[in-house]
Formats: sequence, C-alpha cells, structure tokens
Amino acid sequence: MNFAFTDEQIELRDGVRAYLEGTHGAEVLRRLDTEGGRDPVIWRGLVEMGLTALIVPEAQGGLGLGLIEAALVAVELGRADVSEPVADSALVAPRLIADEAQLAAIAAGELKVALAHPVNPWVADADQAGLVFGGSATGERLESADPLRRMFAVARAEADARMLDHAALIAAAQLVGAGERMLTLATDYAKDREQFGQAIGGFQAIKHHLASVAVALEFARPALWRAAYALENGHERAGVHVSHAKLAATDAAVQAAETAIQVHGAMGYTYEVDLHYWMKRAWALAGAWGDRAFHLRRLDDAVIGGAMAIGPDQSFETGMTHG
Amino acid sequence: MDLTYTPEQQAFRAEVRAWMEAHVPKEPLLTLEGRAGFDAHVEWERTLAGGNWGMVTWPEAYGGRGLDLIRWLIFEEEYYRAGAPLRANQNGIFLLGPTVMEFGTDEQKARFLTPMAKGEIMWAQAWSEPNAGSDMAAIRSRAVRDGDDYVISGQKTWSSRAAFADWCFGLFRTDPESRRHKGLSFILVPLDAPGVTIRPIRQLHGETGFAEIFFDEVRVPAANRIAGEGEGWNVAMATAGFERGLMLRSPARFQAAAKRLVDLYRAHQRDAAPSAREAVIKAWAEAEAYALNTYKVASTVMAGGKIGAEASLNKIFWSELDRALHRTAMSLLGAAAELKEVGGRVNQWLEGYIFSLSGPIYAGSNEIQRNIIAERLLGLPRLGAG
Repeated sequence: MNFAFTDEQIELRDGVRAYLEGTHGAEVLRRLDTEGGRDPVIWRGLVEMGLTALIVPEAQGGLGLGLIEAALVAVELGRADVSEPVADSALVAPRLIADEAQLAAIAAGELKVALAHPVNPWVADADQAGLVFGGSATGERLESADPLRRMFAVARAEADARMLDHAALIAAAQLVGAGERMLTLATDYAKDREQFGQAIGGFQAIKHHLASVAVALEFARPALWRAAYALENGHERAGVHVSHAKLAATDAAVQAAETAIQVHGAMGYTYEVDLHYWMKRAWALAGAWGDRAFHLRRLDDAVIGGAMAIGPDQSFETGMTHG
Repeated sequence: MDLTYTPEQQAFRAEVRAWMEAHVPKEPLLTLEGRAGFDAHVEWERTLAGGNWGMVTWPEAYGGRGLDLIRWLIFEEEYYRAGAPLRANQNGIFLLGPTVMEFGTDEQKARFLTPMAKGEIMWAQAWSEPNAGSDMAAIRSRAVRDGDDYVISGQKTWSSRAAFADWCFGLFRTDPESRRHKGLSFILVPLDAPGVTIRPIRQLHGETGFAEIFFDEVRVPAANRIAGEGEGWNVAMATAGFERGLMLRSPARFQAAAKRLVDLYRAHQRDAAPSAREAVIKAWAEAEAYALNTYKVASTVMAGGKIGAEASLNKIFWSELDRALHRTAMSLLGAAAELKEVGGRVNQWLEGYIFSLSGPIYAGSNEIQRNIIAERLLGLPRLGAG
C-alpha cells in the first residue's frame, strides 16, 4: 500500500507544467481567442513533448504509460487551459482503439481522434479529427461559452461505458487543474490589489474564501488518483470511483471559479482579465462526460442502492456486490 | 502508487478484526463526557492495553507494537468497523504522546509514554485561558522557577475531561518579562497536586466533559518540562499539528458514521427530504476522500516527508464533514431527533450532532485554520501586517 507518486511521475508532471508555463501562457489564450482557436505549432509542441504518445503502447511507438500519468498530464492541461484536442485524442482514445496503425498515428501526432457519446450533445473538435470514434458529427458548429472550445452537433453516437469512464476521469483531472489555476489567479490578484491602504488578501473575508477553495481542491485530488488507479487496473468499482472524482472535481472547480471572480471584483466580470478562460472551461467540463446528476445517480446506485459494500475497511476493495 | 494491501497487511487486519470481535462491548458505553461513562471508557482502555493495542505505532519499549502508519490506518479501520468505544485517553495518546516522542528525554519517554499506552494515566489538555482562546499567545498563567521546581499559578479553561483525568499538559509563562509566543514552557502537572482546583463546566449535552483548572502555587519538578525553557510555543505548535493532522480523527471514524447514515437513510427513505439523499451520498464521498487523503499523507510521512500547514486543510475538512453528516442524520430522524432515547436506546445521532458542533471550534477554530491556510499555504499577508 503506497499512495504516493513515483519520482518518474513527479518528473513527468513537473516537466509538462514547466513546458506549458513557458509556451502556453494567458497571452496565447488571448491570441487563440482572436485567431480562431487552434494552432498547429502548439499541437506540434505537444507532440514533441510526447503527450500524444503517452499512453499508446510501446509497440505502436508510444511511451506505454498508464492512467495515473494520463491524469497527471490532464491536470496540467487544465491548469494551462490547453484547448488542442490532446485530452480526448491522446489521453482517452488510445484506451478505446485496437487498430495498431491508428494507435501509431495517434502517437505520432498525425491522427486526431474526436469522441462521440450520447451523454454529450456535441462532438468536440470533430472538424479536424481524422476519426470520430463512437459515432459521427454534422458540420454544424455549436458555439460554446468557452471561446476556445470547438463543438459540432452530434449525428450519431453509441453508448460506450469505457469511453465514458475514461473521458470523465480526464475531464475531472482537467477540472482540478483549472481549479488550481483559478485559485492561483485569485490569490495573486489579492496580493496585488490594494484597498483601504493594504492588499485585499490581508482581509480575512478574502483569506477565508480562498482557503475554502484550497480545502475543496485538496480533497478532490485523492479521489481522482483512486479513480485513475481503479480504472487502470480494471476494477469493477472503477466507474463509481470515477463518478466520485468527477463530482468532487466539478464542485471544487465551480467553487474556485465563483470565488475567483468574487475576489477579482468588477475586474473579474470583464473580458480583459484572463480568469474567464478557466472559468468557462470549468463550466463546460462540469457538464461534459456526465453532469452532476449523472454521476450522483451512479454513486446513489452504489452507496444507497447497495451495489457496493461501504465502510472503513472498503476504501481499496475492487469488486461490486453480486446477487 | 500501489493501492493494494500486502498479505502481511491483510493478515494484520484479520488479527485486529478477530480481537475486536471478541472484545468490543456489545452495547455502546455511556458517554465519555460523564463520570460513569468515562470510567467505563477507561476500563476499555485497559482491555485494549491487555491485548497490546494501546498505541500500535509506538515502539515496543513504550508499550506499543512499533507498527507503521499503514498498519495504524488498518487498525483504526477495524476499530471503528467493530464499533469500538471512543478513546478516553485521546489527549494523551494522540497529542501528548507524539509530542513526548519528538521532544521528550529518554527518561520522560519511559516515565510518561508507557503508562499512557497501558491506559493507566489519563491526560487532559491545559492550553486555553479565559483571555487566551484563539489567541493562544496571550497566555498569562505563569510557572516561576524555584530551585528544581516550578511554582505554577493561573487559570486554564475548556480542558476536556479534566474533571476525570489524572494529569494535564499545558503552556505556562516561565519568563515573566516575555510577551506573546516567547517565554512559554510546556509543562506536565499532576491534577492531584496541592493547589490544583478543578471546576467542572456543564457542556451543551448537560454532562461535565469540560473543566476549568485553577493553579494556586502548584509545585512541580522542572523535570516535568518538555523541551527547553521558553521553547513551549514550538512544542505546542507541534502538538497542535498532531491534533489537526494525522492522528486525532482517523478517517475510519467518519467512514463508519457514513455507513450508519446510509442505513439510517434506508430506514427513513419514505419520509426523507429530497435533499437528504444527496447529503447522504456527499457524506459518504467526503469520508472516503478524507480516508484517501490520509493514506496519501501517511505514504508521504513514511517516505520521510513532513506534515506542515496542510494539517489545517485536514482539520477543516473532517470537522465540517462530521457536522454535515450528523445534521443530515438529525433531519432524517425528524421529530424523533430531539429525543434522548429512540426505541429504548440512546439517540447516538443527537449525541454525535452535539459533539460535531465542537469540531469546528476545538483544536484551533476553523477560522484560525483558514488564516493559516491563507497565510502559510497561499502566501497572503499575515493578519495585522497591513
């Protein structure tokens, strides 16, 4: 029993974070917002970082890493508000696709995969995808509140439980990353902005708001890691753990967003302050890949419905109850 | 990351489970906060010690089993799974114990830890004063050096179970010229020493689980001081870290309560408010998250890491989840919630709800914890720095 990351996992996380901090700052988001959302140079950089190869098997030219690593990277994508379709295409699709040539093309960054699922009324980045997995999209563009998301109306989608769990896990990880970034943005603003002759971050009202966000994020993270571990190891309980992680990450990110705009005051209500990119991403991901109602229902079946044993000795059990 | 138990850890769980099934009282004990219930809980401490379960993480030399934190978590899970009583000596084993382990001399460890693990000496905490609550650095009770002794005078309050305990540990001002955090020392005092007067305080539930302690020229040997003279603040902060961090409220306690809450919900489902259903699920999810985070912290500590201000995140989370969990239970009980007995048995949800209201206050109020998080984890300006 060991609930700690390996040194290699920490290196991976720190490396991706440093790369994105250096290449994918808020000025990039503003540029993409003006220019239309996607940039082959950014995509190429992510490919060169190895992110598209991360969980593709080594036999197909990938790094053969697992879902803990995928989730660690997805937190960083959320923190940087990366909008290239790397999350769906590279951190989810390789676990759904069996075709070796397609896997090799994903790893090489040559194939972008979009995901269709009936739980979502859209397919993200369908227009640039070489493959829409699980269904198809129409050419009709749907406008998202998040200016950096590119959504297309779904034409056909088949329910695929594996896709849902994997994509919900990666969405939860991005929500945690977005929440952490919004906490940082609000904290930095509170240190800088002065009123009544002092930084507003010195006032307890502000401190306590931000501290509550830190608490919510702290206790969303371990649910995320357990979900990644259970899904990676094919546990029957993986879906329940994913739902726990998605709910906790959603609630923490929404709390971070509402707190961050409040701490920014009227500035937070403007398009000039960068906060809105992460806030809108949090709204979008909150509803994507199963909204609160969807994931609550799954927990309800498990916990109240009795489909899963609960109690102090049950945290790391793997099976559901049968019969 | 390896979220599986080794065969040895599983065997340990089976051993604890078998012992608990054979020894845990079949009926819940009277409340720990009253005399008779306290005595029954002390009796249980001695039964535990008889099985060598007093404090499993301590070295064998001090009455423990020398086990690591993962085994401690397994022990706690089986303890609460079996519905075992609360720990009468929690101030001793969870707060003073780790403090003595870190700061005490070998002589002090032998003298104080072993009787603690064996359930022989019950401890109370003597920190707060009438004018030093959240602002603990305002402590005025003084300990004046006189040869090899200290002579202690002053008043402490909100001392849990001091009316029933044998000893207390507290902070006293040893340098009369000092101010705030400086000049304080951490001293252990027998509560039957001449000059000690204990005035019980009736708590919300009607029992006298609190007390004031008056010290009127109480003489204690200087050997009862933990760490150096004037170093008491740092020692106390470490103790507070233990209180808020890993040990005091093990997650198993809340996971067991969440399981009981689910059973209660099923029994009252037809009459339950729609919102209660989500609250029940949330209670389960938060107890789980707390457990997972504790495994994470335990893994970090076992790899040589330290617990810092993160302990404040913990304290807020468990105390607020406990209150919400019990509030949900009270709402499910409806009109029966106010009754002290339901179906011929003590209404433990009422007792639990009342106790849960103290959680966000003791061990440093949650407002203080939020200040600590904001200042030390987020780096916001210190209080009063503007």
